[in-house]
Amino acid sequence: MKKNKGMIVAFLTPAVLFFLVIFVYPILRTILMSFFNIEGVTDAMGLWTFTGIENYVTLLSTSLFRTAMLNLGKIWLFGGIIVMSLSLLFGVIITSGIRFKKFFRAVIYLPNIVSAVALATMWLQYVYNPQYGLFKTFFSALHLDSLASIPWTDGDHKFMALLIAYCFGMVGYHMLIWTSGIERISPDYYEAALIDGANKIHQFRYITLPLLKGVFKTNITMWSVTCVGFFVWSQLFSTVTAETATITPMVYMYMQMFGAGNTMTDRNAGLAASIGVVLSLCVVLVFTLCNLLLKDDDLEF
Amino acid sequence: MKKKILSVLLCVAMAATMLAGCGSKDAGNSNAGGSNAGGEKTDASSETLVYWSMWEATEPQGQAIQAAVDAYVAETGIKVDVQFKGRTGIREGLQPALDAGTKIDMFDEDIDRVNSAWGKYLMDLETLAKASDYEATANAGLIAACREAGGGTLKSIPYQPNVFAFFYNVDLFEQAGITAAPKTWDELLDACAKLKAAGITPMTMDDAYATCVIGYHLGRYVGEDGVRKIVTEGLWDDPAVLQMAKDIEELASNGYYSEYVGTNVWPQGQNVELAGGQVAMYLNGSWLPNEVKATAGENFRWGCFAYPALNACATNIEGAAPTGTESNNFGAQVFAINKDSQMAEEAFGLIEKITKGEFDQKLAEDSIGIPADTTNTEWPALVSCAKPVMAESLNRFTWAVGVETNADMTPVIKENFIKLMAGTIDAEGFVQAMLAASK
Repeated sequence: MKKNKGMIVAFLTPAVLFFLVIFVYPILRTILMSFFNIEGVTDAMGLWTFTGIENYVTLLSTSLFRTAMLNLGKIWLFGGIIVMSLSLLFGVIITSGIRFKKFFRAVIYLPNIVSAVALATMWLQYVYNPQYGLFKTFFSALHLDSLASIPWTDGDHKFMALLIAYCFGMVGYHMLIWTSGIERISPDYYEAALIDGANKIHQFRYITLPLLKGVFKTNITMWSVTCVGFFVWSQLFSTVTAETATITPMVYMYMQMFGAGNTMTDRNAGLAASIGVVLSLCVVLVFTLCNLLLKDDDLEF
Repeated sequence: MKKKILSVLLCVAMAATMLAGCGSKDAGNSNAGGSNAGGEKTDASSETLVYWSMWEATEPQGQAIQAAVDAYVAETGIKVDVQFKGRTGIREGLQPALDAGTKIDMFDEDIDRVNSAWGKYLMDLETLAKASDYEATANAGLIAACREAGGGTLKSIPYQPNVFAFFYNVDLFEQAGITAAPKTWDELLDACAKLKAAGITPMTMDDAYATCVIGYHLGRYVGEDGVRKIVTEGLWDDPAVLQMAKDIEELASNGYYSEYVGTNVWPQGQNVELAGGQVAMYLNGSWLPNEVKATAGENFRWGCFAYPALNACATNIEGAAPTGTESNNFGAQVFAINKDSQMAEEAFGLIEKITKGEFDQKLAEDSIGIPADTTNTEWPALVSCAKPVMAESLNRFTWAVGVETNADMTPVIKENFIKLMAGTIDAEGFVQAMLAASK
């Protein structure tokens, strides 16, 4: 093929320019900011004070930030296990030729359409309510008093409450990704397996699962990216000021950037930037590990 | 070949228009204040007064302010561009906009945020205030608070005053045979005992305001400066902290707090427990009657008393000064004028329109708030109970009496103090948890 350099340059220039201005420049500026002490995020560079890696040292020595990272890790791991297994299960059921497939798919996906604010309010003010909440009345009716009396929204149970509510909202989204992956697998494989005497579980274990490796990688990456940006749910589960049970790095970043709650607290946009850098590194790490551990290019179908 | 040249030209033209489109939008924003980036606006911007408001256009406050602006425009002929940004909009957007040189003549937010976080953008208003004799009919305590927050000079004008105190259900107090609102800790304990005996839960709290309780209580023992020292220097082993924790533990162990105090998520405590008539007292701001009026109903009789004075207590904190019921967390929203504004006089005129006379009264009535103009002596009925507390407040505490000053500690304080109120940890346990966290 004859290459026309002029054309390539002409077509690529706008995209490259936008990419540089909107994507690369903010990243470089954020990395640069993380080595300075900056009061306001839009302060001119003349007002920045160079502090070297002090922001990173401060972060590591702040127990609240460590708590936030730990919370994030727990959301990623436990939430990930719950969401991935439930969504895969639903995905397999939905694609197994059941009746009313579209209806069930819509129902499971529904929480994604509802705003997080409305969902969190429903969970906090209704489902978890210790006076007349859904869990309270439901478990009381079944005479499961120990379950009915769980104080979901106190300091010791709030994290679990948050995790359940969040996972409830996320299952539908990942189920759709699984479904699209499963539907890509040709029915011929299943027919052949059926003739050879494989039951549903065998089919799942030896056909569906291996062929879903690539989709699994997509799901993990998407899950990691949304987890790292965990903010709204945490804010909604802790009114006005952050709480140890629900704080995440993004909430901590917001506190550093815009101040915490109603009292005037110290602000440092540089510290906030260093949190951004740390979180990005986490995503890159997860992504690299996924690529190393899950090789999906050895299968062609 | 011709085709190729044509397509290259077209491509360049497309890229150029896209870039030009972005460019002109930016320019429009910086001139017209980000609202309408149209050409007309840019031309008129030199004589349009731009006001960034912390309210939403749909809130009672936003509507009252809009009415005042309309009246001001009709009287003076000055064009005003009001942009209702809301709390988060102002908090996140104002400083970047000011730094970018956006034309914003005036804005409003909480007294402490405006004066400290945005202090460098404020115009000194002493001359303007003197010229119109503004202070003659302004709340002296609030003006003094603004001067203090502005570093000794007046850089902001207060409106929508509020005071943080105990609000209670007068009917339940009467039912329990309590005739006078408590002024001291012993009287409060006595009132709680009577309520409890009458089968009424004395008090409750929501997670959102839990830090205000510990702040007030510590503030009574050691003053706001003392509280700030405790949270920033980690002086949690001070005897005053232990005494505070023991006082709260006593309330908890006597069953004076609602059984739901450990699990309440705002607004559960105020809307269901207090407004629903299950609980008698709740520590909150004077905005409370407005917030819960839909659930409390018209016949709810509100009472209000300042956080009670406490018995003397030993402390090792340097400069600690115990406070009484004359020290309260009162504050206001404030207006400020951009120091670079070319329309300072016009902006001050609009501020006067909103904070004086007819529209100050309207703002108070519509939002069931407190008037800023001292000649507006009629307070809305639902908050008139707070009038004596406001009148007797001579010394100002900031929000939560400074207990939230150390952002790294606030979540830990909140968690453990809620547990203390709920009775799941005791006073010693609270102190140990705080010491461990502040290491």
